[in-house]
Amino acid sequence: MRVGLLPTEGGGTYRFAVIALAIVGILISSLPVIVVTIMSFSAADNTGFPPEALSLRWYWDVIALFTNEDASSAQSVVDSTLTSLLVAVIVMAISTFVCIPLAYALARGDRRIRAGMELLFTLPLVFPLVILGISFLLIAESLRVDIGIWRIIIPHVALVLPFVLRNCLGAMSGISVEIEEAAVSLGASPLRAIWDVVIPLMKAGILAGLIFALIISFNEFTITFFMYTIDVSTLPIWMYSRTVSSLDPSTLALSVFIIIADVVLIVLVDKLIAGRASLF
Amino acid sequence: MTTQNTHLHIDGVSKNFGDVKALSDIDLKIERGSFVCLLGPSGCGKTTLLRIIAGFETASRGRLMLDGSDIAQIPPHKRGFGMVFQSLALFPHMSVARNIAYGLKLRGVSGKEQRNRVEELLNVIQLPSIADRPVSALSGGQRQRVAIARALAIQPKLFLLDEPLSALDAKLRDNMQIELRQLQQKFGVTTILVTHDQHEAMMLADELVVLKDGAVRQAAAPSVVYQQPADSFVADFLGAANLIDAGAYKSGEIELLGTSSKFATHHPEGTRLQAAVRAEHIQLLPVSAAGHAPVGTVAFMRDLGPATELIVDVGRERLRVRCPNTECQGLEIGTQVAVVLDPAHMSVFNAA
Repeated sequence: MRVGLLPTEGGGTYRFAVIALAIVGILISSLPVIVVTIMSFSAADNTGFPPEALSLRWYWDVIALFTNEDASSAQSVVDSTLTSLLVAVIVMAISTFVCIPLAYALARGDRRIRAGMELLFTLPLVFPLVILGISFLLIAESLRVDIGIWRIIIPHVALVLPFVLRNCLGAMSGISVEIEEAAVSLGASPLRAIWDVVIPLMKAGILAGLIFALIISFNEFTITFFMYTIDVSTLPIWMYSRTVSSLDPSTLALSVFIIIADVVLIVLVDKLIAGRASLF
Repeated sequence: MTTQNTHLHIDGVSKNFGDVKALSDIDLKIERGSFVCLLGPSGCGKTTLLRIIAGFETASRGRLMLDGSDIAQIPPHKRGFGMVFQSLALFPHMSVARNIAYGLKLRGVSGKEQRNRVEELLNVIQLPSIADRPVSALSGGQRQRVAIARALAIQPKLFLLDEPLSALDAKLRDNMQIELRQLQQKFGVTTILVTHDQHEAMMLADELVVLKDGAVRQAAAPSVVYQQPADSFVADFLGAANLIDAGAYKSGEIELLGTSSKFATHHPEGTRLQAAVRAEHIQLLPVSAAGHAPVGTVAFMRDLGPATELIVDVGRERLRVRCPNTECQGLEIGTQVAVVLDPAHMSVFNAA
């Protein structure tokens, strides 16, 4: 039998600590989700908590919002949702095309270059998002041309790259040079070896990075708040504009839909990289 | 100079990594269908030489002549050499069958023919029923065989192996050595294997190439390398040899262990020499029966089953002796014995 390093007499120190910390952690992280979910079922017009009666009226409101477009509204929820999705898809595509070759080059190249590049790509994470938003806005405004949706895509790519790169690098580190050389010795050109052996083995890491990209881009608010225009706006901005004057419970119902989608995606990530390197 | 039977001629190959000389002026002729072992301690350049042959490194100088034509400019994927890597490097995302068929697929072999060839190879490696298994479900010995089958599937011109057996436990390794040798003979493929294990090299090789510090110390049949080592390093590296300080004495005699011994030497009188004698070629006799033979004291004994290993101190020298159990009855630690060296099994070199 193994002996614990801390005293375990009197009912098990570990078990108590684990349960207590887990409860605190789960409460803190899930409380907002629980509150939002309960309130979205409220029957009242106000947002008093807890709701006095339950109904699905706000869910019907959300569906109505999407189906009966109000032409007079400056920012339509359908347009915002479509923009959000389009931005997310393009961000995913760009970050993959950048990160797979980059991760390959960094993993196979000089170790010092790798450390430097990793640091460089992590910079947007440590920058205050507001400052990042202001600087991207300054850059966009200094351009003479209107870059349309790209004014949102480019900052999102900067935000997402570290996550995608980290995941691709993690996947690369498990792929030995010998396995590529084995493919080459059997007759594969170096590029063919990457396509046949390296990419399939990186797949889980690439997909995990992509799902991160999707979630981060789809939920991004701070930088987008600086960058959006009347023509180009995203779903989080729309939700904020609906609630900034008075809280509209239908946005709560909408966020429940988004939470469900996020949870599904996160479970997917977990399944994909189960037994591999950890998420972060 | 290329003779009919030379398959690969390594012609003056050198390799520098920056200022470090990894290989200097390697000159080897490898015969068609032979099994060559590159043997040496770690860092001797044996793996570098194999990687140069495979095309994963380029030589700084020299030529690689395959069937009389220089292959230095041919990229590794066009050389058609089968290689088994130290880590085996099986493709973990493919089944056993797809691993073995990979090289055939790249050559545009039809699906049906691929399946036939895979089946045939799985029969040869005596694992006929594992085609559809994932590589991760195989044992160490099975992976080993699949890696060998994958390299042989492409009917390689040269079969290259980089310490492929080093990860196996001793008993499995013994069995795999025999199997590998039988496979090589069955396919008749010219084979180069890198190893640091002298026993493995003796077991497998037609020709043994002993490397040290990037240079060939001796290249010959295993029995020749064992019986007539070219220098004290080779003698010491292949099996435990006793290296005894000696001196050239008079013509036809050398001086060692404080007495003179008959040995045809061409070294001028007074040269410092070293004599190599293997543990099994030293005979121990009772002091009374031995005349002028040097006398030593038994310092250590252990019974190894078929033989007893002893350490006998003679003056400053410490000799390792192995004698059949029937011949060393009555010896114990502290016993005085006469030490008889057989000149026929003794090699003499200039002292390092």
